[in-house]
Amino acid sequence: MPTVTYLEAIRQGIWEEMERDPAVFCIGEDIGIYGGAFKVTDGFIDRFGPERVIDTPIAESAIVGAAFGAALTGMRPVAEFQFMDFIGCAFNQITNMVAKAHYRWGGPAPLVVRGPSGGNVHGGPFHSQNPEMYFVHTPGLKVVCPATAYDAKGLIKASIRDNNPVIFFEHKYLYRRIKEDIPADDYIVPLGKARVARSGRDLSIITYAAMVHVALEAAEQLSKEGIELEVLDLRTLSPLDRQAIAHTVRRTNKVLIVHEDVRTGGIAGEISAIINEEAFDDLDGPIVRLTALDTPVPFSPPQEDFFLPKVSDVIREARKLRAY
Amino acid sequence: MSPSKHSASSQRTYTILDYRLEKPRFELRQVRDGDVVRYEVSGTLNSPVPPIRDSKYLSKTQCIEIYRWMLLNRKMEVALENLYKQGKVVGGVYFGLGQEGCSCASAYALKPDEWLGPMIRNQGSLLVRGFSPRDIMMQYMAKAGSPTEGRDASSHFGDIQERNVVAPISTLGDLIPVLAGVALGARMQGKNIAVMTYIGDGGQSTGVTYEGLNFAAVQDLGLVLFVENNLWGYSTPADMQFRVEDLAERAIAYGIPGVIVDGTDPCQVYDAAHEACERARRGEGPTLIEAKMMRMKGHAIHDAAEYVPKPLFEYWKKRDPIARFENYLLNVKKWLSRTENEKLIADVDAQLEADREFAVASPMPEPESAVGRPYCSPECHEIRPKYAVPKIRAGKGSVQKTSEAAVHLK
Repeated sequence: MPTVTYLEAIRQGIWEEMERDPAVFCIGEDIGIYGGAFKVTDGFIDRFGPERVIDTPIAESAIVGAAFGAALTGMRPVAEFQFMDFIGCAFNQITNMVAKAHYRWGGPAPLVVRGPSGGNVHGGPFHSQNPEMYFVHTPGLKVVCPATAYDAKGLIKASIRDNNPVIFFEHKYLYRRIKEDIPADDYIVPLGKARVARSGRDLSIITYAAMVHVALEAAEQLSKEGIELEVLDLRTLSPLDRQAIAHTVRRTNKVLIVHEDVRTGGIAGEISAIINEEAFDDLDGPIVRLTALDTPVPFSPPQEDFFLPKVSDVIREARKLRAY
Repeated sequence: MSPSKHSASSQRTYTILDYRLEKPRFELRQVRDGDVVRYEVSGTLNSPVPPIRDSKYLSKTQCIEIYRWMLLNRKMEVALENLYKQGKVVGGVYFGLGQEGCSCASAYALKPDEWLGPMIRNQGSLLVRGFSPRDIMMQYMAKAGSPTEGRDASSHFGDIQERNVVAPISTLGDLIPVLAGVALGARMQGKNIAVMTYIGDGGQSTGVTYEGLNFAAVQDLGLVLFVENNLWGYSTPADMQFRVEDLAERAIAYGIPGVIVDGTDPCQVYDAAHEACERARRGEGPTLIEAKMMRMKGHAIHDAAEYVPKPLFEYWKKRDPIARFENYLLNVKKWLSRTENEKLIADVDAQLEADREFAVASPMPEPESAVGRPYCSPECHEIRPKYAVPKIRAGKGSVQKTSEAAVHLK
């Protein structure tokens, strides 16, 4: 099985879909000869030509709008945002034009908006954001946040094949830091399904993206103390896998939700409400959430370090909840 | 349109094509008049109504067809106003009064497999594309049988299968990049098509207008953009919306041809639309057509538009597109006799009455239908290229293994 980084897995996924389906094409800034700011589309223009790898002016509303228009003729665009922080520039197109089209007038939007999100790379407020909740909040969109190379490839392929608009958040911290052996064959990972990253009976951590690895590291350490954490990787934020969430609560009866997104309006609140609806009687303690601060992402390393949830934070909160 | 290359001086000149037979100049200003502030108009407001400019392309039959569309457009809106006054309409009504020539004659230039993106006052263009007055009436009355099954109002509907119409949203300019994208998708499937959409003198101020049109220009996409300068963006006159003399000049900034037409003359509108569509079909890129006219009612039915100065209103009332075109067909070209005209009008009235009855009698949606289908499953839409499977012209190479990131963020 080939060993690839998280980024290479995404690159392979898009490449394979472009080979498989001539309706798939890429559109974005600097994705052609340059291969993209993070090199995700490196080599694409040589193989697929400028007709299918389109460099655009700096115009995010036009990128999304044009992708939607092409989708209406039956194409499957993959629109790259150089940083997902810039998704605000296309907010109206995504939430009003694209997200509501199928519900209102039967205009399907089989497009993917993808790009790097997340912090811990000293990027500051405009290169480190986690904007996912604006889009989880919008009916009609699907929101995907893979945490592993395997999932990144399977999910980007599934997203491209999906008839719905998918906002695909790639965690830039994970791009080159994680390497995995992945299958060489054509596989997909279904949207809307969470994954148990680690089984355990003592306490559940519900999380996604880079925080999955933080949770797993904390789990390793706590295992030495005889505390076995279960780690549920959500993978898709919208639609959420309610069944998987309820199932893990029934197994461990204690829940710690960890996300890198800000506290207020982050998905921990939504998951808490779902647990309340689906598995209240299975709780043996309050639902605890560990999140970033309610501030923009600070730039200076000591500040960003304080801003983000860390392994030591997870361990502390898990121990406390375990003892409740 | 390209700048003159041979001037010895450091100045450049640009050309904007102007089809109009009159070029009025007037100005609208806010003035204090005693205790109130109001709009005052100044300029040439007493010139005679010019003749309709003979079309270079339209046959007699086609002119009569466009005239019928315009009549249907006008009378449908009268019917909508009556329905509103009878309390049968949900929400407001938007009128394109005075703009029927522009809506109908422009859409008439599109081929069936080309696309339209209408705005709120282009209901005539929806009729030309094959929607019926009952469709639009049911939209306004929020009926279950409306094209959106009650989920959206007025002209917010579309059809990707037959009539190739993209539904607008309420924010302005957003259709422009979308229609550009439609042309992009078609081109990737091997076909240069014309796509047409509209924007008002008010709406063209938005950022997305610029992004969309610039993208179309850079990519040479066949976008025919009608800038409908009807002088009013809700209550704000055009003079407070931009500094250029004519909105067609905006074309210079995008590097595309700009054309001015009299929006109340369907022949001018059609000719400009046709030429722009032909350019688009040859792969020569977008065209910006400014259609000058006036919005003859308020922004919507609730808006009495008392802020419009009376002399300006009277000027444009004399230029009613249907009155002008009727006079042209009956008295100038003598293509319609009085009797034929009366029969045509009676036909339109009968069609509208049948549609009105149908729409009024049709049921409201079931409450649970509010749930609808936010997601598209493979069962509800089969998505495949509309024109042709794109030809793959693949170069050599396999997917890259490694390469360094180009950014400093590690």
